[in-house]
Amino acid sequence: MATRDVANSVNLKNTILQGVYDQNLKIKNDPYEPNKNKTSRRGKPVSKILILVFFAVVLFGVWQVHTGNIAMDEMDRVAADPAKAEESSSIGPLPAVAAETSESESLSFFPIPKQVSYVMGLIDVSPSVEFNTDRLLDYSLILNNEAVRVSSVFGLDVRTIVVDPGHGGKDPGAIGALGTMEKDIVLDIAKGLKHNLETSGRRYNVMLTRDEDKTMSLSERVDFANAANADLFISLHVNALPQKRFNVTETYYYGPPSDAETLKLAEQENKGSGISTKEFENMIRKISNTFKEQESANLAMDIQHSLFTNVKKYDKDITDAGIKIAPLVVLLGVNAPSVLVEISCITKKTEELKLNMQAYREEITTFLTQGTMRYLNRRNLHVFEGEENGRKDRKKGS
Amino acid sequence: MAEKTVKKAAEEMLIAGIDLGTSRSAISAINGRKKWVESYVGWPKDFIARKVIGAPILFGEEAVNRRLSLDLYRPLQNGVIKEGTARDEEAVKELIHHLIQLVQSKNDDRKIRAVVGVPAESLKVNKVALKKAVAEYAESLFVVSEPFAVAYGVNALDNAMVIDVGAGTVDFCIMHGTVPSEDDQRTVLTAGDYIDQQLFSFVEERYPDSDFTLNMIRRFKEKYSFVGEPQKSVKVDIPVNGKATKHDITEEMKRACESILPAIIESTLELIAKFDPEYQDEIRKNIVLAGGGSQITGLADCLQDALSEYGPSKVNVVDDPLFGGADGALALAQDMPEEYWTDL
Repeated sequence: MATRDVANSVNLKNTILQGVYDQNLKIKNDPYEPNKNKTSRRGKPVSKILILVFFAVVLFGVWQVHTGNIAMDEMDRVAADPAKAEESSSIGPLPAVAAETSESESLSFFPIPKQVSYVMGLIDVSPSVEFNTDRLLDYSLILNNEAVRVSSVFGLDVRTIVVDPGHGGKDPGAIGALGTMEKDIVLDIAKGLKHNLETSGRRYNVMLTRDEDKTMSLSERVDFANAANADLFISLHVNALPQKRFNVTETYYYGPPSDAETLKLAEQENKGSGISTKEFENMIRKISNTFKEQESANLAMDIQHSLFTNVKKYDKDITDAGIKIAPLVVLLGVNAPSVLVEISCITKKTEELKLNMQAYREEITTFLTQGTMRYLNRRNLHVFEGEENGRKDRKKGS
Repeated sequence: MAEKTVKKAAEEMLIAGIDLGTSRSAISAINGRKKWVESYVGWPKDFIARKVIGAPILFGEEAVNRRLSLDLYRPLQNGVIKEGTARDEEAVKELIHHLIQLVQSKNDDRKIRAVVGVPAESLKVNKVALKKAVAEYAESLFVVSEPFAVAYGVNALDNAMVIDVGAGTVDFCIMHGTVPSEDDQRTVLTAGDYIDQQLFSFVEERYPDSDFTLNMIRRFKEKYSFVGEPQKSVKVDIPVNGKATKHDITEEMKRACESILPAIIESTLELIAKFDPEYQDEIRKNIVLAGGGSQITGLADCLQDALSEYGPSKVNVVDDPLFGGADGALALAQDMPEEYWTDL
């Protein structure tokens, strides 16, 4: 009996080890760069090719020395008539660039002509390129570098937060089966969020785009936030889905749509924006604003994380639609980092019932506050890549 | 076969099991050495910091202590390497290299064979990136999910469930005599870090004038965490206007620690309910609690009580939560047949 147990145990382990092996073999077959240090069977042909290429290069150099100045002649010819040379070239504007070759370079054993990256256009990748000190003053190196958190580099702080309860007045937003209106729910939650942030002890100036049931165009909301010199903009919404059984939470920041559904949502939310073409052009210029994008993404991440993980306790079937990028005009127009939160789905009846309860709305408000505070804490603490490590007194802004 | 592998390995290879955690990473090697480090990697911010620190890179507690001079990374913070963040991938690579160096003797140039346990979600999302990160330092390696490594280590291979309560995630894994598929695993994000945040805000709310950091809060949690009825009150020293003052944080500790319970209970029940009904009772009686969070006083009992409403249940805690994953990964590595290593 004991022998059979041992045999079963061994069989079980063998099955599992085989499974681990199969799983990892699948990963191995994914296209990634193989281990450079490894002398695998796969590596041998590559080494052979490299050796052949090396010999070819050496032979080519020797041939050049023995055949005189053929390459130099060719370059001279190119310098004299780049247009003609271009005609004879099958790879584009190389001769034109070769014309810039200096005399000292052409006298070297292997003259290195200036190179052009044909993939990136006219970007000089010559190894002999001089370091341009002007680049030290080029802020685009920071502003367009996704790896650098701009708010940390410049020590940017948050003073004014604008909370935007979506819809209002004549525009009820989504309406649930029981008649609950999106505009009322988000207004109540927005007021709670304002209160929570104001009493967080950090002296934030929190403003609401509307604190009553009134109609506001998207353009007015954008103007309000910009006039208030908002440092953060949080727009609150409740979702409506044709599939009444589903409950979803998601958070958006500005960018090209990630899918067709997102584009549809953008159309809905942008309706009657009241924004002129000229104003839209100005907005478009802001698209490459790395700072805004980085901070919007971080804010969206923290809010979505807090909202979903907590709301899931109330509705285990709720779907985490995650952070989405969408061309929502209200997010583009506001100068500050901005997000639009779709809290949950009013079209699911049980969710609508809960949204009608004051206690549940307060909970939602707490989750939104937690997410926002988490973002603010990490930002104020000069945190790198999501790490919280600073001191509380610094967080207090002292 | 396994014996042959071990013999060969002792001579030519250094076999190791690595547990790459969101908060702590551990390594357990065939030479008997075991080491762990907090999963922090920091690079000096500039050349001045580089000169002051005197090293090109710091790890673990040392990195946390010198954080103001460093670009500090915790690469698997939420259980996954953020996509497109090359620095996080680099941090994983450096962390693994560091762990390997910790168990290598001087002049030991043996090649490494490793089984690496990673958070379940990360295995799903970042398997290629992880493999790439480890590949540079290992001759051959396997990547598995952390809870699976734990299960292998404690021999909970059939009709069992492992709940790995980590810092960034709680990973659930049902074992049924084969490698668990994605359907057999769940990840919940309300874990140790979430308790820290909750405790921070609760203590801040109650003692607004006290001066403390998240690191202090984390240390309080590691020392005094509990769920259920408190065995004694939790009193900690926190400075107020520069003077160390006793603070009673019993209620705050309880609230913060219990905040992760609903999600754990719900996910456990959900995962068991999806399993073959004939074996559900057996799984409920064979639950293993692992990870740093398994050290929360009363957590296993609380979970067992909650599950008992659905039938007889038994929740056991692994003997060594810090090295449970690494030891399991090492056991896997030792049992792995030679030809599997060669093929990879």
